[in-house]
Amino acid sequence: MSAPFFKFGLFGNEVSLIVAFIIGIGFGFFLERAGFGSARKLAAQFYFRDMAVFKVMFTAIITAMLGLFYFSWLGWVDLSLVYLTPTFIWADLAGGLILGIGFVIGGYCPGTSGVACATGKMDGYVFVLGLFFGIFAFGEAFPWIAGFFNAAPMGQITLPQLLDIPYGVLVFFVVLIALGGFLLAEKIEKYFAQKDAGKAL
Amino acid sequence: MTKLFSNMTTQKKLGFLALVLGFFAIFAGSPYDNSKITINAKDLALMAQKDADNISVQQLADWIIKDNFDFRIIDTRSSKEYAVYHIPMAQNIPLSELLDQNFYPTDKLILYSDNSEKATQGWLLLKAKKFQNVYILKNGLNEWKDKILFPKMPTKPNPDQLTEFNKIKEVSKFFGGTPQTGKTGEQSQPQVKQLPKLKMPAALPEGAPRKRRKEGC
Repeated sequence: MSAPFFKFGLFGNEVSLIVAFIIGIGFGFFLERAGFGSARKLAAQFYFRDMAVFKVMFTAIITAMLGLFYFSWLGWVDLSLVYLTPTFIWADLAGGLILGIGFVIGGYCPGTSGVACATGKMDGYVFVLGLFFGIFAFGEAFPWIAGFFNAAPMGQITLPQLLDIPYGVLVFFVVLIALGGFLLAEKIEKYFAQKDAGKAL
Repeated sequence: MTKLFSNMTTQKKLGFLALVLGFFAIFAGSPYDNSKITINAKDLALMAQKDADNISVQQLADWIIKDNFDFRIIDTRSSKEYAVYHIPMAQNIPLSELLDQNFYPTDKLILYSDNSEKATQGWLLLKAKKFQNVYILKNGLNEWKDKILFPKMPTKPNPDQLTEFNKIKEVSKFFGGTPQTGKTGEQSQPQVKQLPKLKMPAALPEGAPRKRRKEGC
């Protein structure tokens, strides 16, 4: 039996909710352990003092990417059946911008605000309230922004399709970008640590 | 080399591993199989509307009897259902495996299921995969049973209907069916609609069916 198990009918809707719950708990647990339940840690990213968010996220990306790539190569998972969120380029750009602004202002992303809530952080609760308000406002305003939301639909497109290069080549490039990013992040951290030390003196 | 590796920190080891895996990914080929297809929706809609790809059970029976075999009959039901009964010469390919088959582009494929439903879904898949000669057995096995295996004689047949039924009776017997004549007098056994034994016309008896068919005409 190969993955995705849900699509191959190994379990139904009800069990899939339990699976989602377990995965969600695991996701939250590791975010918390990485220190992402603290807005200070997350915000330090934007001041180049602590690049942990960047490093954790890119590590997750290349781990998942290499895992999926080789699992499918071994026939353990059928990648063509894995659900991809369809791309609507303008809506995605606007959404990314809003998320980024919210991240800088509030100190959390949606996932980490949940983690902050779970560990009882007051700013986390406020953030989640704002998040639900945003969802509500979006839902109510949807009829007016539906045209923009649905503009430029690109379907379930992936980078190799968009750039028309082989999958393996893209995998290699993303690994290179990640490793280069890690080295750069370490350098930046060291640079700002020295600068801060110089100021402190 | 090993010493160099063992001196690395865990992070560097993992990074090195990612680099190696990433490098070999270049040569691993595409992780996607060929199950993604693009369809010309308008083309398909037009084809579906014309009903031109429907084949009647009488037509199929005729072809089988005449040994007119330039097509493949495909049973899209489950293997369990297939094991109980299938149309002679049919091979069992459930829908989920339909796209994994290496049909030739020129193959004539006739799909059937209990009614037309699954066969039509299969037709859509194969048409979308650019197979030109895909046909559906109209109303499927249900109609095959009604019209071929257990044809019913009209209650008060006029001469035309009677000749028609006698023709069909021969066809039905060829496929091991039980024509429902409605007569109970001469043979007291009830006419049970029993599905014919499977092995029956696996290989067509040479000559005989054609002759019989000619008589009918």
